[in-house]
Amino acid sequence: MGDQIVQWVAGLLRQAYAMLGLSPIAGILDRIVCAVAMFGFVSVFVMFLVWMERKVSAHMQSRIGPNRVGPFGLLQTLADAVKLTTKEDVHPVKRDKIPYFIAPILAFVATFMGMVVVPFDNKVVVADLNIGVLYIIAITSFTVIAILSAGWSSNNKYSLLGGFRSAAQIVSYEVPLVLSIVPIIMITGKLNFSSIVQYQQQAGYWFVVPQFVAFFTFIASATAEANRAPFDIPEAESELTGGFHTEYSGVKFAMFFLGEYVAVVVSSAVAATIFLGGWLPLPFFGFLHLPGFIWFMAKVLFIIYLIMAFRWTFPRLRVDQLMDFGWKVLIPITILNILITGFVVLLLGKGA
Amino acid sequence: MTNEELKSKIESDFKDKILSVVLSGQKEVLVTVKPEAYIALCRDLKTKPDYDFQHLSCLTAVDYPKENKITVVCHLWSYKKCHQLTVKLDVDRANPKAPTVEPIWKAANWFEREVFDLYGVVFEGHPDLRRIMMPEDYAKFPLRKDFTDDGFIIKPN
Amino acid sequence: MTDLLLSQIKPGGESPFGTDEYVVNMGPQHPATHGVLRLVVKLDGETVKETMPVLGYLHRSIEKICENRTYPQCITYTDRVDYVSAMSVNLAFALATERLMGLEAPPRAQWLRMIFVELQRLASHLLWMGAFAGDIGALTPFLYGLRERERILDLFEMTCGQRLTYNYIRIGGVMIDILPEFIPKCKAFLDYFEPRIVEYEELLTYNPIFLERTKGVGVISAEVGINSGVCGPSLRGSGVSCDVRKQQPYLFYDQVKFTECLQNDGDCWARYRVRMDELRESISIVRQCLERLEPGPIETKLPPILKAPPASEIYSRIESSRGEMGIYLVGDGTAKPYKAKYRCASFSNTFVLDQLTRGWKVADIMAVLGSLDMIVPEVDR
Repeated sequence: MGDQIVQWVAGLLRQAYAMLGLSPIAGILDRIVCAVAMFGFVSVFVMFLVWMERKVSAHMQSRIGPNRVGPFGLLQTLADAVKLTTKEDVHPVKRDKIPYFIAPILAFVATFMGMVVVPFDNKVVVADLNIGVLYIIAITSFTVIAILSAGWSSNNKYSLLGGFRSAAQIVSYEVPLVLSIVPIIMITGKLNFSSIVQYQQQAGYWFVVPQFVAFFTFIASATAEANRAPFDIPEAESELTGGFHTEYSGVKFAMFFLGEYVAVVVSSAVAATIFLGGWLPLPFFGFLHLPGFIWFMAKVLFIIYLIMAFRWTFPRLRVDQLMDFGWKVLIPITILNILITGFVVLLLGKGA
Repeated sequence: MTNEELKSKIESDFKDKILSVVLSGQKEVLVTVKPEAYIALCRDLKTKPDYDFQHLSCLTAVDYPKENKITVVCHLWSYKKCHQLTVKLDVDRANPKAPTVEPIWKAANWFEREVFDLYGVVFEGHPDLRRIMMPEDYAKFPLRKDFTDDGFIIKPN
Repeated sequence: MTDLLLSQIKPGGESPFGTDEYVVNMGPQHPATHGVLRLVVKLDGETVKETMPVLGYLHRSIEKICENRTYPQCITYTDRVDYVSAMSVNLAFALATERLMGLEAPPRAQWLRMIFVELQRLASHLLWMGAFAGDIGALTPFLYGLRERERILDLFEMTCGQRLTYNYIRIGGVMIDILPEFIPKCKAFLDYFEPRIVEYEELLTYNPIFLERTKGVGVISAEVGINSGVCGPSLRGSGVSCDVRKQQPYLFYDQVKFTECLQNDGDCWARYRVRMDELRESISIVRQCLERLEPGPIETKLPPILKAPPASEIYSRIESSRGEMGIYLVGDGTAKPYKAKYRCASFSNTFVLDQLTRGWKVADIMAVLGSLDMIVPEVDR
């Protein structure tokens, strides 16, 4: 169903190009249209997520949550965004101007770029890279540069501490994150997200079943990568007042804020694709004939809900405990998992 | 030990260190100590097992401008014996100096800083005698009875 | 002032990496310092070298004001000494004044005082639990704590019309008798509240991250605790029996059954456990008081002008929510106290902060400060 919609839209676009006489540069225009569509979709989705997080936290804390702006308070995030954009941009006088300006943009853009390789449905993907997994790992690591330069350039000790904490944390958790994807690649022999999903379709099971250890380590590392509680020490409101974004306000703060949520979306989308079968329907629910897109989004939302539930139940780890957890718990588990997976793959003669 | 027993025991044990020991109208034992024996008495009260005043509950001062003295008051409590004692030390109001009990009870550190801040009593030997409530550059001692800060205190009636 | 303080912290690194130490100013405006406490912290990377509390940002000279007010007028100011546990300070001052003047409140008033002070302890500990959990990054318990605290405040509002600064416990009795529906409402609240403690414990007590953050952190040994003047639940976490309600009973605490909650580890977790256990004890005390409450007068007849005997003095202690609360009053035969000193638990508890945090991480400052249950107006007065 997904590729039919894509064909139809592509046909419409071709007609439009022909009418405007732009057919020779159709390839470039396609990319631009895709990028804009993706940007719009993710922005709206993130706005919904902010609302959802506030509702989830309100539910967990026996509150009501936003309910004034729009139906069920759905437009609350829009109102907040308008407030943030109209705010005066307060900044420290002795800041390091260029990194201070670039940091929020980088944080915002780098996480957004991750979304392009995620398949929403069969053949519905902006760029079906054959090294999609590598690409997404590389591109999301850009956040650390953004956070470091934000922490450094703000000329504030809290920011600096937050920036350094974040650098240490993201670098440390990058390792278990990658290592927990490796077994999947060993089984499928593919670095392309669509192929991974197709493999799950053919095999008849999702990777969360044989690779549940990798699934949990991936979720934990992804939570840390996105600087979310209980791994939110770079922000650590009660310790560092706000960490790396202490000195940011208005639009720049909004960019960091959006970047954090997009990072959550990207991680959840990757987890849903790799471990939960992407656009495949739930077992025994295939008769519903829902579009793959809906299944995919449902899985993404489920994982996002998990990550939100962590945030509102757990206290925050201390910085050394966080490092211990990463290096002494997650990495040994993932390496062991890789060894066992490799052994089983050899034994069964499966894999590439 | 009841307060009466405590009073008579202190009377006999520390005859040469104290000026007076009385049982107040509220049945508290008040000891006024000789200035030179203040530290020795406090150390004895803490270490001797009969007294065992491990807990310095409070240390403060009272200003008596008419008698030209500031009285440093220590309230002691024993967690094991459950008895209470008040030790008083009179210092000269014009040149208020008292030895510090900080080496005996660490808790005295901030209490003595507070008395220094608000009464101007200098505790000799205190490791960190700075103002604690008022700004560092403040010149007056607010809890003294002759304190005036025009425009700040509105007296009723 | 800043320069003076900073000049006392000498730079110079001793770490093997040749790094420099730096000074961070936490507060007076900081999300974790519970008001306007300022901490000047010397750090080497993440490691704390020295914590220097700077007090006085909330100094309102309440002791000086009290010297210029009559005894009943002072009660109003006592509310502001500890606004999270105002009933306790009301009681401390009223008891001190009564002892100074040789008065005694009638039995019904005493039972009512006990009910309200113990309810206040519940409210204060609930707020503490939320704030402590918030300090170490768990934001949900705060709302849980406030949810139940609201109902306690409803009970207070029903009786004396106030929710924060009550001015309810007066010299010679209490302000006003409870309404007839107070007792059933209070019992209903206690029945509702008791299972909730289990809920908090499920959320926090054995949460692995919570244990990581609090177990073995900020250990106060019994000797250091006693010597440094730590008091109340914070000292009971180190296994020292120091409850004024047991050691020097006031009101009718010698007639109700309750156990003094003790833990032996002396770390943040032990202090947390002591306060959670105290919630249960306070519930039991309130229940017993409600049983024993009998009709009768709620205040003694006072002279038109309350005057202390000349050259009299009293040092009267109670167990407030935060620990030992002492009031030192000197009377000079007039209607105003010659000297009024508030000995507050937060003041002496904050003093140990420096000893407890040296060599630990930045985040542990918040855990330790939270576990000591300090409140700035009590420190600064």
